Amino acid sequence: MRTALAIARKELSIYFTTPWAYAVFTAMLAVSSFFFVNSLFDFQRAQEMARTYGWDRIPQEFRNLTDGVMVPFWSTVVMITLFVVPFLSMRLFAEEKRNKTFELLMTAPVRPVEIVLGKYLGGLGIITTTLGLTIFFPVLLTVFGKADSGSALEWSTVLLGYGGLLLWGATCMAVGMFISSLTESQMVAALVTFAVLLPWMLLQGLAQATEEPVRSFISYLSFGAQLQGLMRGVLDLKAIVFFCSVIFFSLLLSHRTVEAQRWA
Amino acid sequence: MPMIEVQNLTKRYRERVAVDALNFSVAEGEILGFLGPNGAGKSTTMKILTGFLPPSEGTAKVAGFDVFEQPLEVKRRIGYLPETPPLYPEMTVAGYLKFVAELKRVPGRGLRAEVERVSGLTGLADVMGRVIQNLSKGYKQRVGIAQALLGSPPVLILDEPTEGLDPAQRAEVRGLIKGLAGKHTVILSTHILPEVTMTCEKVLIINQGRVVAYDQIRKLAKVHGGKAENVSLEEIFIKLTAA
Ligand SMILES: Nc1ncnc2c1ncn2[C@@H]1O[C@H](COP(=O)(O)OP(=O)(O)OP(=O)(O)O)[C@@H](O)[C@H]1O
Ligand SMILES: [Mg+2]
Repeated sequence: MRTALAIARKELSIYFTTPWAYAVFTAMLAVSSFFFVNSLFDFQRAQEMARTYGWDRIPQEFRNLTDGVMVPFWSTVVMITLFVVPFLSMRLFAEEKRNKTFELLMTAPVRPVEIVLGKYLGGLGIITTTLGLTIFFPVLLTVFGKADSGSALEWSTVLLGYGGLLLWGATCMAVGMFISSLTESQMVAALVTFAVLLPWMLLQGLAQATEEPVRSFISYLSFGAQLQGLMRGVLDLKAIVFFCSVIFFSLLLSHRTVEAQRWA
Repeated sequence: MPMIEVQNLTKRYRERVAVDALNFSVAEGEILGFLGPNGAGKSTTMKILTGFLPPSEGTAKVAGFDVFEQPLEVKRRIGYLPETPPLYPEMTVAGYLKFVAELKRVPGRGLRAEVERVSGLTGLADVMGRVIQNLSKGYKQRVGIAQALLGSPPVLILDEPTEGLDPAQRAEVRGLIKGLAGKHTVILSTHILPEVTMTCEKVLIINQGRVVAYDQIRKLAKVHGGKAENVSLEEIFIKLTAA
């Protein structure tokens, strides 16, 4: 496994020397701060309305910052993640093939499983960094926010929500890595990854047009439906199992493609 | 037992036959010059020997291990310089060599010394901190050679190692390869024929995937030289690979 770690370290060091990673960090921070400020304003407006018309007229979630600000914020981060992951995952295998460095990996005494795990670990590192940057916002709320009962945020919920976000990022990265292993072109890898992730996310909408039991099956498969609980900071075991299976199968397929080089 | 043994090796890319029923073997400690015109199938043969590509037919064995059946055993024993040096442009030379040493499972304690050893051998000491992207072609080639030497594997497969080097460095690499004889088994492809005469005892010349000559250089000269005493390898090469 030492070689897998060496590969992961190499991936990370390359990520951090390319402008891509910084472009993604900037995009993540810029877009998410826009939506964050937006949900803060919504929250504030709700508070003012409550003062005028009474709390029973105001939706439940605006009672506290966690549900009123963080939950809508996470759902935008989920979408941003879907857009930025293809740009991070595209290079994982495609670049090696184009650069002919794949020949180095494949002729070194390294098993395909170590290559796949190493690359995936590197990918996880970069997506964790990207998502980790947004923890700035809840920290800001805790520092400046006030609540009747101590902390402005329920940190247990916030941490669960971030766990869910990471799981989502890890899933996108696994799918993107598999697609990157199929092509030499980073551009193609990014476009196909996006073309797979977005419809998969929106599968729920398609489900409305179908009958039971197909409907519940399709919405079970939909990323959007599976994320609903997790993105409210709920420990949704069924969804966790679902995302872990998607990751596992993507890694398995990547392994198959790398292994297939031996048979080409 | 020969270190490298190739039997009836054939490689087809779809319809195109790149390597056609190749047979040869290289004894331990021997340096084999691997020659042939462009597109003859040299790089393809080397890719099969290193386990990067599977053969369509036939077998290749390194140190008694079949490259297809026991790839890990083979890869552990081979240092390989592909025709395009496999470099990560964003990395520094030192970072890159350290990474390859880790891939080759050079033990952690000896790693720094090993990287220093190969960078000394290939004249890289002054550029260790530089980003590979910014190196000149010849220096990139040297990094490729250094990478193949890491871990001093018993078998070296070098695809045009002196390509792009300046005359001084070329002589140095030639000396380096010559110094490997005895301890290491080397297959070396090149288009610079005097280089072969200087470094190798034996040559294998292929044309369109088939062997056209496979012998000691002295004997080839005798057979093809006819009455002329000092026929050069170049003349033999041109004669054998014409048409
Ligand atoms: N990936 C590939 N797909 C299809 N054909 C290929 C592929 N790689 C090589 N070939 C063909 O196989 C033949 C042998 O190519 P190879 O690269 O082994 O030649 P070479 O002897 O190394 O030539 P050079 O001296 O130019 O490096 C050529 O006809 C080439 O066009
Ligand atoms: Mg070649």
